[in-house]
Amino acid sequence: MPLLRWLKAGAEFVAVILLAAMFSFFILQIFSRYVLNEPLSWTLEACLITWLWTVFWGCGVLLRDHEHVKFDILYLGAPNRLRRVFALVSAAAVIVAFVTTAPATYDYISFMKIERSSSLKIRLDYIFSIYLLFMAGAVVYYGVRAFRILRTPEFEDRANPEKAE
Amino acid sequence: MTEAFIYCIAMIFGLAALGTPIAYSILVGAIVYLATKGQDLALAAEQIIQGLFESFVLLAVPLFIVAANIMNAGTISDRLLSFCVALVGRFKGGLGHVNVVASLIFSGMSGSAIADAAGIGKVIIEMMTRNNRYTPGFAAAITAASATIGPIIPPSIPMVLYALVSDSSIGYLFLGGITPGLLMGGVLMAMVAYKAKVHHFESEAPVPLREMPRLTLRAFPALMLPVILLFGIYGGATTPTEAAAVAAAYALVLAGFFYRSLSWKGLYSILLDSSRSSAAVGLVIGGALILNYIVASENIPNQLAGSLQNIEVSPLAFLVGVNVLLLLLGCVLDATTLILVVIPLFIPSCRALGIDLVHFGVVVVVNSMIGLITPPYGILLFVINATTGISLQSIIREVLPFLVVLLIALVVIVLVPEVVLWLPKTVGYHG
Repeated sequence: MPLLRWLKAGAEFVAVILLAAMFSFFILQIFSRYVLNEPLSWTLEACLITWLWTVFWGCGVLLRDHEHVKFDILYLGAPNRLRRVFALVSAAAVIVAFVTTAPATYDYISFMKIERSSSLKIRLDYIFSIYLLFMAGAVVYYGVRAFRILRTPEFEDRANPEKAE
Repeated sequence: MTEAFIYCIAMIFGLAALGTPIAYSILVGAIVYLATKGQDLALAAEQIIQGLFESFVLLAVPLFIVAANIMNAGTISDRLLSFCVALVGRFKGGLGHVNVVASLIFSGMSGSAIADAAGIGKVIIEMMTRNNRYTPGFAAAITAASATIGPIIPPSIPMVLYALVSDSSIGYLFLGGITPGLLMGGVLMAMVAYKAKVHHFESEAPVPLREMPRLTLRAFPALMLPVILLFGIYGGATTPTEAAAVAAAYALVLAGFFYRSLSWKGLYSILLDSSRSSAAVGLVIGGALILNYIVASENIPNQLAGSLQNIEVSPLAFLVGVNVLLLLLGCVLDATTLILVVIPLFIPSCRALGIDLVHFGVVVVVNSMIGLITPPYGILLFVINATTGISLQSIIREVLPFLVVLLIALVVIVLVPEVVLWLPKTVGYHG
């Protein structure tokens, strides 16, 4: 499906831009402090915002289950039928937990509109809203995964040990 | 310990055992905890968001990841390798020694063992197995074993994480890792020398001395990186987080402009990879922050510290106990989880027993890095298996002798705190 591929490329582009922005803000901060001797006040905050967004954008939209840090000895050692049960329980737990906490979390984040970040003066509910996207993304991802497990009897997923350390 | 806490822990362990990502297991467990206690369910989100948004030191993690990925993509690793071949290739078992020395130098640039094994490690395994000079198992095993040095010699992502949970100085931790890292390199080279003698390994054709200046010059800009990092941090010029950014920028300039080995497309995929890894690590860190909040509100670490004092455990017995526990856990858990989730439980006990937190930190990091090569769950073994296709069985068989000498090094580091502390003390650390 070209639409899906296009969306994936777009999501990846956002992730690259977020990290590149964080890196650039940081370099700018160092440059302004040590070279120009006139530290900028907003760069640190910009780094922290882009870092927060990198984490939740990546986890909510981009990352697949096997890319997360996990303990998968039992999972990988289990026969296929049991594996499906494991994966279903995982998916169900994430979906139930995120859906039940969604209203309270929404309240908390929208309540943060009363505060603004200290130097860029951005409303905190805007900055924190990425967490809601993360929750929604996780629910959709695990929903689709559960659906696939139920639909396809030979559901196999690949284990990938390459994680950041 | 309340009933809610028991449910929470049971949920975390239960889900994690099924293969649910650790971060999600913790989030679900935390939500169960809040629900049982009748607290605001948004607290989990609040802790993770505020925690990630407020801790400046954590920015070092994605920056070190970017730096390591850039160095692996450029020709920086190749230049370093030819320098190392010229330096130690002439000895018996030459490429084994080259492997260790390259890891030592590379570890002064990257903060990640995985990056070390997947990058420079992959190149050197190809060199070693060409013409069947070394068995694939041996090549993979020495690569995995020497990659554990990566996060011991600064910079180091695990040490940043430890500094976060223990509230100790990153600068002193980094400095404290240097001697233990060299010690680990030393014992590995001794093992290589022993094996070379027994199995009659070949040595590389000696590189003529007049070639040395040219090879050094070729590798010089890359060799400067550890110097810049250390000077930045200990010269007081930059904070460790800023040093991480400088390292990444330097690697970028080096690979992109100086060596011209990095295309825009290459840079894009490096940033994408780094972004993915940063997100995965970031979420586990976030999970650990929530867990720390719960554990602290249950007052667990202090209770543990109190009960240890009551039964009068000596500091040494405590250290040995923690190390044995960590080695066992390291067989099944990865280092990030160990440091962020398990270690905070022991920090108050260390304070109560008068154990130096910098010493403890370096011990913990060395220990958890050894855990990366202990079967059945050793990420370094998996990474090498995935990038080179060498069978896990043969790697595990060959890695055991190296594991033994690394454990001996660990014992020395545990028993003689000065191995860690003498360097920090020379720059004014008082413990």
